[in-house]
Amino acid sequence: MTSSTKVPVYSLSDLKNTTDDALPVYLTTLPNEPFKQSHYLADVRLVLGYTAVAIAGVLFYFDWTLGWENTKAYTGPAVLAYFLLNGVFTYWIWAVEKGTVFAGSRGKNQVTSPRQSYRPRSTSTGWTDSAGNKITMASKTKDHIPIYHLTVSVDGRKLDIKAPFTQWFSADGYFVAKPFQQWLASEISVIGEADPNNVVEEIGRGNVVDGVRPEKVQGVLDQIRKGATTGSSPGSGKARRRG
Amino acid sequence: MLNLSSLQPRQLAAQILNFALVLSTAFMLWKGLSVATDSPSPIVVVLSGSMEPAFQRGDLLFLWNRGQDTQVGEVVVYNVRGKDIPIVHRVVRRFGGGTGPLRLLTKGDNNAADDTELYARGQSFLNRQEDVIGSVVGYIPFVGYVTILLSEYPWLKTVMLGLMGLTVVLQRE
Repeated sequence: MTSSTKVPVYSLSDLKNTTDDALPVYLTTLPNEPFKQSHYLADVRLVLGYTAVAIAGVLFYFDWTLGWENTKAYTGPAVLAYFLLNGVFTYWIWAVEKGTVFAGSRGKNQVTSPRQSYRPRSTSTGWTDSAGNKITMASKTKDHIPIYHLTVSVDGRKLDIKAPFTQWFSADGYFVAKPFQQWLASEISVIGEADPNNVVEEIGRGNVVDGVRPEKVQGVLDQIRKGATTGSSPGSGKARRRG
Repeated sequence: MLNLSSLQPRQLAAQILNFALVLSTAFMLWKGLSVATDSPSPIVVVLSGSMEPAFQRGDLLFLWNRGQDTQVGEVVVYNVRGKDIPIVHRVVRRFGGGTGPLRLLTKGDNNAADDTELYARGQSFLNRQEDVIGSVVGYIPFVGYVTILLSEYPWLKTVMLGLMGLTVVLQRE
């Protein structure tokens, strides 16, 4: 279940890119009605970018063959069109894509669970006419902090989840798919329904730091201290295990 | 570093696009400046010492070509007909203008004689509109020396372009 390429474990962008690349692989191969990936966002970006480049290329060709005097009249409009397209391209990346690494849907034909067909769904995002689940995922990392932040939007409802990369990268830098899939299936209910075997109960293994609430730890410590002073078994404090 | 062959087609297309955008943006900025200054070559590098001490070899000059009524004393850049080397010299005489074409005679500050010898055969003056590509409006000393090196050692161009391409293609974000 490990990927074949090895990444340097201290390189945050390598960790993020490898994880980003693993998302569509998993989501399109879920055992229960997998997601169909939509490339709408990337395709629009590529069309915008390549159109701008084509304008520059054509202008370059005619400037080269015909010279400045003959192309003068077209140069101004071409430059304007290029920078307009470039502006839209930049806007698309920053305001529309916003780091989206996966967009996809599950069709209503394949719905197995009756609950899903009564879900409220957003119609504002226009890349699919499917009536099933629609999902988009945008990932980010904060500078120098090896935690993967994923903003998941399922049928218009937003969910922010995060986990340290150590959860699915081995110490020598191999991506391990299983814990990554378990994390997604456990945190995101739609994925959990599509892949029930990967849903795991959170039992607070050492590498999960986010679930630990200081006041609860304090409670456990108080219990242990009380147990020690009253002479009962210190182990009784462990009864407050989460999960 | 990333392995190009392992990329999805869209990722590969995006990487190539990044590289193409760097080149095309540079080209379009240049063309935009050309349109704004109305000059085919709004920035030139001084190649000879004929204008010393005003301009040294390697100085970067900014041109403006919208005021067509060039006066004596202005420094203009012109191309000799049939040759593609821009020459930076000072206007020392002007004839005509008004209804007829404005004609100029130029001379390098550091040269003994005026430019009639430099002009094309049978040409004894410059046509302001046809020959001159702009008047000098500003300059940065020395920074243009890189392009002199690049034109004198052409293999440097290949090296530089290759390095630029590699960095853009191989890095992600």
